[in-house]
Amino acid sequence: MNLTREDLIQSDATMNQMRNMVYHLQRFMKINGVSETRENLRRMGRNIARTYVKYWKPIDHINLSNVRDVISTIYKHILNSSVSIEIDKLNKTITVQDNDCSLCKYHINDIDVAGCEIIAAMTSEIITCINKEKSSLKLQPLNILDSRTFGNKSCIQSFKYEEGGVL
Amino acid sequence: MGAVQWLLKKITKVFGRNTTSLFYVLLYRETLKEINNIAKDEEDSIIILREIGKKAATESCERHTAVFKWMPGSPRKVIEYFELLWVVVFGKELEEGELTYEELPKEGSKYNDYLVTIKSCPLCAGYGLDAEDTFNFQKISNKDTEGLACGLTGMLESVANFILKIKRSDYRINIVEQKCLAKGEEHLQFMCKIYDSLEWKELSSVRIQDKIRSGVKFEESIEEDVVQETKLDIIDKLQEVLSLDKIEELLDEPLEGVKSKVAEIIEDKLNLNPEHFFDYFKNYEDDLLRIIGYLAVHLLNEYGGLIEKILENTTFAKIAGYLFKQLREFVFLFIPIDVINDYHQLLISFLDGLASDEMVENIRQFSGKDDIRFLFEGAQIALENLGIDFSELKDNVWEELRKEREDGLLPSDQSMMEKTERNIPNLIRIMQEILMLFSDILTLPIRVLISESHYGLKTAINSVVSEEEGLFGSIKDRIDTIFDYVQEIKQ
Repeated sequence: MNLTREDLIQSDATMNQMRNMVYHLQRFMKINGVSETRENLRRMGRNIARTYVKYWKPIDHINLSNVRDVISTIYKHILNSSVSIEIDKLNKTITVQDNDCSLCKYHINDIDVAGCEIIAAMTSEIITCINKEKSSLKLQPLNILDSRTFGNKSCIQSFKYEEGGVL
Repeated sequence: MGAVQWLLKKITKVFGRNTTSLFYVLLYRETLKEINNIAKDEEDSIIILREIGKKAATESCERHTAVFKWMPGSPRKVIEYFELLWVVVFGKELEEGELTYEELPKEGSKYNDYLVTIKSCPLCAGYGLDAEDTFNFQKISNKDTEGLACGLTGMLESVANFILKIKRSDYRINIVEQKCLAKGEEHLQFMCKIYDSLEWKELSSVRIQDKIRSGVKFEESIEEDVVQETKLDIIDKLQEVLSLDKIEELLDEPLEGVKSKVAEIIEDKLNLNPEHFFDYFKNYEDDLLRIIGYLAVHLLNEYGGLIEKILENTTFAKIAGYLFKQLREFVFLFIPIDVINDYHQLLISFLDGLASDEMVENIRQFSGKDDIRFLFEGAQIALENLGIDFSELKDNVWEELRKEREDGLLPSDQSMMEKTERNIPNLIRIMQEILMLFSDILTLPIRVLISESHYGLKTAINSVVSEEEGLFGSIKDRIDTIFDYVQEIKQ
């Protein structure tokens, strides 16, 4: 009997080669004149999230008081990363710092878009999917402020959030 | 699966960067979909994903060349180690009985073809049940097109051929996904074919650009023909002969077996007779031992560069330096001199017959203590290379603590607490002396224990070796009888 996607949540896989594939995909996009690489990576992240939440979700409802723990759980459970999270209530932004990003490890000179765009999009989409049809917290990826792909020491992803369901 | 292969599988997993398998599988699926968004042709997308997988794996292998030098160099062995390739690529171990081989005879060829079947494929797990599984295999009309595992197949082929390339093999392996669960077939199946360099060149001469019909551009990868010889060639050659399969064979053989195996390896791989090989170290026997100590540390570091990474931190480097110095002192404190001398005798017995009489005589002049000292000197040089500055270290760790304290300025008017702090180094020194006193006393029972087990084992081994008709002969006879019975049952 073949495996199910539920089974895959219980086991680990090594990202070393998959990580490289993401950058070769970007090169393939570039050579074929695709200009929206960042948007394409984000679409990949959103699609991953939409499938993933059918098999696992950290909680049934997310709001500003638990979003820090939710993000931390998502990174730990899916990506095996321990992240530090800061919430800026004034500007309504959240920044996530990952010192061991699963999609960025080496400085790559010919790449303009960090692999962790996929992770940022996936994280915000998981939250959006869980809070679907509820007027509560919504999250959207803003920027990758730092990335090991660009030679930085860690990856820092920023998100914009909105309470009440409209961004 | 042998013990070493099992161990390497564990090590590969430990040093990999893991996520859940579901994230891996979904990212893989999205990569294929993005390729198809550009190519707009399912068959081309499969070909391109396979090529991207090959490039990704080669890049990864090039970053960890040293690990692959320990793998076997024969194409047949590489295929037999398929499960290890799978773990290197995917990081997920296969369940017992998941993987089966079938050898397909190939007339007129040195090597047969192999059919590798994996019962359940993680990439195909639940494929088609979710709305985002939009890559449609029904659109593929060519039945020779690979399936969803095409990218993984490309990775496996690259890892296999990378091993053969660095082992300077003239053969290459072509791995093709023959059956795919996502395409409706009953399991995942790979066809592995072994080609010589000429056939492989011909096979690889077909450009990807010529295989695809959608007109998308793809940067072809260029395979380097030969690995350049370097000044470390002799080390590469030693790594070649000490590959996994050889280590597994050596582990089971006693001293005489090991000696003949080492002689055979030196003759085969270095094209030297053993005496000639060891003559390179004649009159430099101490350096030979230092090199062993040096290589031991560097080889430990090869697995993920863990030692080097730890020593990048100056505090850790200092701690490691003090621990190393302490260990060097403790070896002589805890291990009885007779035991050390027995190991020295073992080294002489090992070299006797392999190296020239003069070299054996030179080694005989050393004591067991000298051997240990040379090994530690070599290891120290390696640790210096990796980041420990031994010249900076004090005589012991307590002096180091005192140094840190002296670096700070002391206020002219000292409180009672500050005066106590100033006295701490003296207190520490008293504690050190007390601890050393206890260590000296404690070495006695430990020496007794080591001696007991050492001589117990020695007596047992000697009795086995000396009584050919005794225990050893008896075990051998009984196993022979069991095999005879099995043979009779089969007939």
